[in-house]
Amino acid sequence: MNNEFEDVWRRATPHVLGALARRHDNFADCEDAVQLALVAAAEQWPREGLPDNPTGWLIRVAGRRLIDLVRTDVSRRSREERTTRLTDAVATAASESTVADDTLLLLILCAHPALTPSSQAALMLRAVAGLTTREIAMGFFVPEATMAQRISRAKASLRDAGGRFQSPPRSELPARLHAVRHAVALLYTQAHSLGEPSRSPGRTPDSLLPGIALRLSRELHRLAPTDPENAGLLALLLLTQARAPARLDPAGELVPLEDQDRRLWNREYISEGIALIEKALPTGYVGSFQLQAAIAAVHAEGASTASTDWEQILVLYEMLEQVDPTPAATLGRAVATAEAIGPAAGLAILAELPESSHRRHAAAGHMLSRLGRRDEARSEFLRAAELTRSIPEQRYLNRLGTQAI
Amino acid sequence: MKYVILIHSNPRPWGHPTADYLPEHQVLPQEQRDRLNKDFEDGFAEVIRRGEFVHGEALAAPSSSRLFRWRDGDRVATDGPYAEGKEHFAGFFLIDVDSHERAEEIATLFAGPGETVELRPVMSDGSDGST
Repeated sequence: MNNEFEDVWRRATPHVLGALARRHDNFADCEDAVQLALVAAAEQWPREGLPDNPTGWLIRVAGRRLIDLVRTDVSRRSREERTTRLTDAVATAASESTVADDTLLLLILCAHPALTPSSQAALMLRAVAGLTTREIAMGFFVPEATMAQRISRAKASLRDAGGRFQSPPRSELPARLHAVRHAVALLYTQAHSLGEPSRSPGRTPDSLLPGIALRLSRELHRLAPTDPENAGLLALLLLTQARAPARLDPAGELVPLEDQDRRLWNREYISEGIALIEKALPTGYVGSFQLQAAIAAVHAEGASTASTDWEQILVLYEMLEQVDPTPAATLGRAVATAEAIGPAAGLAILAELPESSHRRHAAAGHMLSRLGRRDEARSEFLRAAELTRSIPEQRYLNRLGTQAI
Repeated sequence: MKYVILIHSNPRPWGHPTADYLPEHQVLPQEQRDRLNKDFEDGFAEVIRRGEFVHGEALAAPSSSRLFRWRDGDRVATDGPYAEGKEHFAGFFLIDVDSHERAEEIATLFAGPGETVELRPVMSDGSDGST
């Protein structure tokens, strides 16, 4: 399929779905109708050329498909009345320009609390980013049939939970935006954490998902700019993505932060991320994404690990643990403590983490080797390698564990 | 996060579903066998409905396997299985779930009389591996 057409309908998807969903309660029907319209576009556009108004074209075709679906559905009762109402509604929808609201409402609907996090992310990829089920399945490394079941199950849960395409009550909005941010962050880590370039020849979802997550978080920030956590998420993704070119060496081996070639970091993303977080931090409540972004920003500002402002990072991790106490925050505090105060103080904090955490053992290995306790360090690295689920990370840790440090 | 559920079993004669061929299962009253089967079928239908089931295969009898080893500086192939094996690998299911708790819940479904079931996380499953 021609990339030119693909980009057009990916951008049009939230508008088309929004136009339908605002007039018709059943999200699953609307979503099916949009998919059918995309199939029609895939057949007709390459043959007949791009229509003058692609979004209008898609809304028209999707509208007709939706009417077909509804007709089949309610054939025995009030068929004529409902289809007439729907036809009028869809006809007027094409002329409205509410793309922005639609995208935000779709994100909020997809992040419905009745759905599991990975279902929320999968629905967003279809509804907001216009990916096909096949592409989403590739991004999550599951067979297409599995992803198709998961998506139809998610739509059924949405229907059972009374998920409607409308703004949730104002009191619920912060919680829903919070869920949206988490689903977007999940999309990002889903591809990012796999981290094996050999698995992404060309433009496969491995390389597509981080871009989509970045785009969605940009959109989220644009649509609800007064929420400082939206800025925090965008800044965090920009600052993390900036380091992506230096994360793996040409052989696909993981390169830890302190050994990364900082000249490979994307300067544009870094300055954009830093500007965002500097503006967001003083404006309102300080949440988890802002603090994580602020930590990433301090790392990005240092010219090397040695010149990194570890005291500041330590303060930020202490705040993060208050706001959002997770094992990752405790680990960060331990590492920052080791750098700012000393490895022995860092080791004491690591003991608070679960025994089954590979990150705990990897960090302990580094701290022990700085203390000259080489045998203990080696066994910590090997224990960490046993526990990790990432192959590049396991190779890296095994290398440390078998080397004479 | 992806997990493999490994079914270790030693049914004689070899057959699937393994429970039907296991003496520990056969001695149960029919009523209880029916209930266990129904529990499993209902539970697994839910797994499929939620899109958590990725792939699964039942394996043929261990006597049909060939073993490949290194001996005296050369590769050698022999007929399987290991004679001393009390339990053999009988089949596997690959699932993709949102939490470790859910994976354990599903694995529990497979544990019946005479069965040993192993739950193993898959490497490079896309999660960050932290616990």
